[in-house]
Amino acid sequence: MGYVQAGYTIVLSILFLYGAALVWRRRRLTRAVERVVAAEASAPVGPSGDDR
Amino acid sequence: MSSNQTVSTPPAPSDIPPAPSDTRPAQSLRPPAQSARARWTTRIIGITALVATGFTVWLGLWVTPPDVTQGNLVRLVYIHPGVAWVALYLAFGLAAVSSLLYLWPRTRSLFWDRLAAASVEVGVVFNVCTLISGSIWGKPTWGVWWAWDARLTSTAVLLVLFLGYLALRRVPAEPEVRAKRSAFVALFAAVDIPIVHFSVLWWKTLHQGATVLNANLSPTIHGSMAWTLLLGFVALTLVFVWMLLVRYRIGVLEDWLGTGELDVALRERQAEGAAIDEDEAA
Repeated sequence: MGYVQAGYTIVLSILFLYGAALVWRRRRLTRAVERVVAAEASAPVGPSGDDR
Repeated sequence: MSSNQTVSTPPAPSDIPPAPSDTRPAQSLRPPAQSARARWTTRIIGITALVATGFTVWLGLWVTPPDVTQGNLVRLVYIHPGVAWVALYLAFGLAAVSSLLYLWPRTRSLFWDRLAAASVEVGVVFNVCTLISGSIWGKPTWGVWWAWDARLTSTAVLLVLFLGYLALRRVPAEPEVRAKRSAFVALFAAVDIPIVHFSVLWWKTLHQGATVLNANLSPTIHGSMAWTLLLGFVALTLVFVWMLLVRYRIGVLEDWLGTGELDVALRERQAEGAAIDEDEAA
């Protein structure tokens, strides 16, 4: 059974770790997008097309 | 704008890149929102995949009987062909189809490029799982961890080809250029998929022939073993779909963030140029 248990453990661990990494990446990027949106909202407005 | 331009010489108005709002529709600056329905669909698929995988493990390790010839080693059949199915046929097959649809002028869209990229990344993970589980099965069965067998070697070549695809995507380029060259590489790599599938028929290999997808489409496995094998295929397919949806969303966010950061940088540069103009005028 040793090989069987090793096979299941390794494969399921790889899939679980990759899945967790995907969730973490998505969460990190969602927060980064929110930060950019907040920066855009608070940034000083540049000259308009007429001013240039 | 030339690179040797100094701060003391303000840029000509024509050199200043236009404000994002001048060049792009306002809605493109909005963050890529995901509908509640899409979020719930992803969540439900994820939970179903988790439950189905749990059932497969329970049936595979404790419920199904050992094999007459292989004994308990046969239990690896409930995960090894499943991960191979996902990697070879679903993930890399989908990547090839998506790449083809990107290259086809009528269907050209970055959606297909993102889908191909997401599919390849998930497929590479499943391909690694295929090689590892196969190697663990091979040691007690064949007496070696690895053999330069046609099936094993062509699967390893497939992994290297798609790792190359992922490496190519990291080379900085315009999205359209990157998408086009990635699509060509994906199609080139996909040539290996039928080679992997038919390798057990074309050459004399250590690896056994197809159990389910054989020439007669007559599965050579029965009873609870067959049902558990089928459940394993379904479970791992659901895991793939969930991973694909999440990875695709990551691609959308990455792409948006790239242009979002560029917009912020352009706006800052514009504000800087305007301040220099005011100083000069004063």
